[in-house]
Amino acid sequence: MNFMQLFGRKSKSSTIAKQRLKLVITQDRFDVDEQLVTRLTHDLAEVLAKYFEFSMNSVQMSLKKAQDGNSYILVADFPYKKATKHPSIKG
Amino acid sequence: MGKVIVVTSGKGGVGKTTSTANLGTALALIGKTVAVVDADVGLRNLDVVMGLESRIIYTSMDVIEKQCELQKALVRDRRVEGLMLLAASQKNDKDDIQPEQMKSICQRLTVNYDFVLVDSPAGIERGFQNAAAGAEEAIIVTTPDVSAIRDADRIIGLLQNARVEPINLVLNRFSPDLVKSGNMLDKSDVLDILNIELLGIIPEDEAVIASTNRGIPLVHSTSSSAAQAYMRIARRLSGQQIPIPDLHAKNFFSGIMEWFSRKR
Ligand SMILES: Nc1ncnc2c1ncn2[C@@H]1O[C@H](COP(=O)(O)OP(=O)(O)OP(=O)(O)O)[C@@H](O)[C@H]1O
Ligand SMILES: [Mg+2]
Repeated sequence: MNFMQLFGRKSKSSTIAKQRLKLVITQDRFDVDEQLVTRLTHDLAEVLAKYFEFSMNSVQMSLKKAQDGNSYILVADFPYKKATKHPSIKG
Repeated sequence: MGKVIVVTSGKGGVGKTTSTANLGTALALIGKTVAVVDADVGLRNLDVVMGLESRIIYTSMDVIEKQCELQKALVRDRRVEGLMLLAASQKNDKDDIQPEQMKSICQRLTVNYDFVLVDSPAGIERGFQNAAAGAEEAIIVTTPDVSAIRDADRIIGLLQNARVEPINLVLNRFSPDLVKSGNMLDKSDVLDILNIELLGIIPEDEAVIASTNRGIPLVHSTSSSAAQAYMRIARRLSGQQIPIPDLHAKNFFSGIMEWFSRKR
């Protein structure tokens, strides 16, 4: 929970509902244990953090149905603030 | 040959039976022949919602056990031409029926009826599987709340795997006032998440409860907004191109108009 959420104007409950739904449905669609999305997000963040600066609070993962209705598209939103100064790939 | 449409939801109590009764009646009112089938074995309700409970003699179980011919087990709704009900057994259990047996009943009904609407029980287990077994198409009923939408998404996945197509959405108990105040998901939010075609929106309406109390489906009178919404859905199901109107929140003026027109 960030500063704005704690002390700013309260978000609409419908907006919160939509965010929460997107997350649970993504987990349901993966059809695996609930922690998978959390672990995947964490692992992706670890890699991306080498190149970009972003806040973990703003990260969103979702699984959308593809047009054909049979496959899914994994969408990972990592809104970044700026590129990390000295990107380096650790060995 | 008619088509078999399963009315289902995942979550309980979201309006499957209400929708089956009203869409069945509405389709008959616009001249279609309809058989509504209660697949909620052990917890049947379609008969009482339609006001036909006192006339049930045979059920789908009797047809399966060959105690009775299919045509004889159907109860005619005397208020409208072309509407029949096949009741579920109240003594039996959902596991007493095989999906293949329900499928066969539905297919036989399509010979004489334009529409076979199957009222599914809640859940994703055997009862739902029986209800969906004979279905070519599905209507998903959901309310705009988190748990109903989540369950609807599970059901949609199962139906897609079973190659049921199209799967259309009825958004029930919708309240424009709650959307406006930020406390209910809007139509676009629900469609964005579930990603299926919208068939119609039924407002939250006291008339639904009153009509269930009386055992007279809402659509027999077109005075309520929920009845009008069901009539539009029936027309869409029968192939007519009917736009889906946006439901608007009450403003000062419409609030006053409603107050004056209210039955007292
Ligand atoms: N649009 C509506 N406005 C107000 N009340 C409604 C509306 N739709 C349904 N209800 C009420 O919600 C309750 C549940 O409806 P219904 O029995 O149709 O749901 P269901 O999905 O068939 O439930 P179950 O899963 O138990 O079979 C009923 O009391 C009904 O009157
Ligand atoms: Mg029901």
